[in-house]
Amino acid sequence: MTAVVVEHVTKVFNKGRPDEVTALSDVELTVGDGEFVSLIGPSGCGKSTLLRLVADLIEPTTGAITVAGKTAGKARRDQDYGIAFQQAGLFEWRTVLRNVELPLELRGLGRAERRARAEEMLALVGLADFAGHYPAQLSGGMQQRVAIARALAVQPPLLLMDEPFGALDEMTRERLQGELLGICAKTGTSTVFVTHSISEAVFLSTKVVVMSARPGRITAAIDIDLPARDEAARQSERYFEHVTAVRQALRGVPAESAP
Amino acid sequence: MRRTFFVLLGVVIFAALWEGYKLVGSPDGTVVFGVRVLPRADDLSMPHLWTVFERLGKPELTGGRPVWIVILHACVFTFGITAAGFVAGALIGLLLAVLMQRFQLVERGFLPYVILSQTVPLVALAPLVAGWGGTIMPAWATVAVIASYLSFFPVAVGMLRGLQSPSASGVELMRSYAAGWWRTLVKLRFPAALPYLFPALRLAGAAAVVGAVVGEISTGTRGGIGRLVIEYSREATSDPAKVYTAMLGAALLGLFVAGVVSLLEVPLMRHRRHVEVVTL
Repeated sequence: MTAVVVEHVTKVFNKGRPDEVTALSDVELTVGDGEFVSLIGPSGCGKSTLLRLVADLIEPTTGAITVAGKTAGKARRDQDYGIAFQQAGLFEWRTVLRNVELPLELRGLGRAERRARAEEMLALVGLADFAGHYPAQLSGGMQQRVAIARALAVQPPLLLMDEPFGALDEMTRERLQGELLGICAKTGTSTVFVTHSISEAVFLSTKVVVMSARPGRITAAIDIDLPARDEAARQSERYFEHVTAVRQALRGVPAESAP
Repeated sequence: MRRTFFVLLGVVIFAALWEGYKLVGSPDGTVVFGVRVLPRADDLSMPHLWTVFERLGKPELTGGRPVWIVILHACVFTFGITAAGFVAGALIGLLLAVLMQRFQLVERGFLPYVILSQTVPLVALAPLVAGWGGTIMPAWATVAVIASYLSFFPVAVGMLRGLQSPSASGVELMRSYAAGWWRTLVKLRFPAALPYLFPALRLAGAAAVVGAVVGEISTGTRGGIGRLVIEYSREATSDPAKVYTAMLGAALLGLFVAGVVSLLEVPLMRHRRHVEVVTL
């Protein structure tokens, strides 16, 4: 079974009004089970819109989206995905542990089970010692890790991430990338990851989907095969080849270059 | 510790200003071009602070109870009215805020009237409300109605702002959890609104005291501190310290209400004790 299927999806904002914007035009995307797919492109290319469509936070104008074999709306109601945004968006009045418990609470899990699961998730992101802290007491990187733990708490088959490391410094970002890969490998989660960093996309993904703006559409899908995803991989020849390929696709080189 | 010090310092500065002005100010006040810019400093207009405190210990009328007991009783009476008006006003304000958040139509249609309600002069409203006393409600309740009329406003406006304060990503997160309006309200909007609610409640507390005092005067309700201020001010020429004792009581009542209201937030704002959170 495939994690996500997007078929002929078009999204038009403010349809029929003077400020009508075609955010996405006839987009096709398939994310296989266990795949890590990055969406990359200039701002305004609709990559976040595409992620929100998959999450059923907004509805497509035309086309169909299937998540885990169900409609996107059904998948959302069944909490079949976890989501993390650029801003960690933790609830400041809840402790770290209670933040991670939130999706479990809304699912109606019992107190003890909730607590056990949340503690397990915090251990996974390396924050077991900070369960009783409040978000404002943590650094940006730690907050983002809590957000990831929260997204993983319901153990969803699909993880949706909208530039989760965008607001972090380079060192924290690279460390979290490594941790995220480890977590995805351990849990077998499929991931859709929105980013505007080429190196991040190549390092994390099994497939990089390149998008272009006005109207937003997919211009290339590049399969990434790195033998390993570690510090050495960041220096490898093949890594740089992929980076170059993605960069060229982003620039529209060679065939589709606009005048 | 520091706070207590600054509170005491404030009292000392006030006392020094009062007595200092009495010392240097002209007993007839300072008049510039026919306008009195500084008040009279004579004992009739500004009694010595110790005279006021002495007056507290003396009987209200010859052979009667001491003034401080009378004032204490009046304050307790007015506090009861204030509390009733405050609770009713706060509940109405909360309900309005939730309705306005839920239905944009209600916000657009109702918010102008909420603001308009506060521009109606209280003295125009009081006789109408006073007419309800003794028929559909006891006389004291009419005063509580006036207090609630003043106190619902800051709660409605502050709470509406608080309920609308969560970021779009927070709301989307709740949507991604398939949480409906009610659970989003309980888990996200309400806790997020608390930092807005408490300042609004403090304003509402002060407004409720003003409403109760003014309400007592304009509805002619007996037994409260507002009534006492009016009664004692009639004796101001013969017993100037007496009216100041009543005013002191009213001021302390206001402080007491403010203190009680700020106690409400202690259990609900636990995370604030760990970290300073920016709200505005």
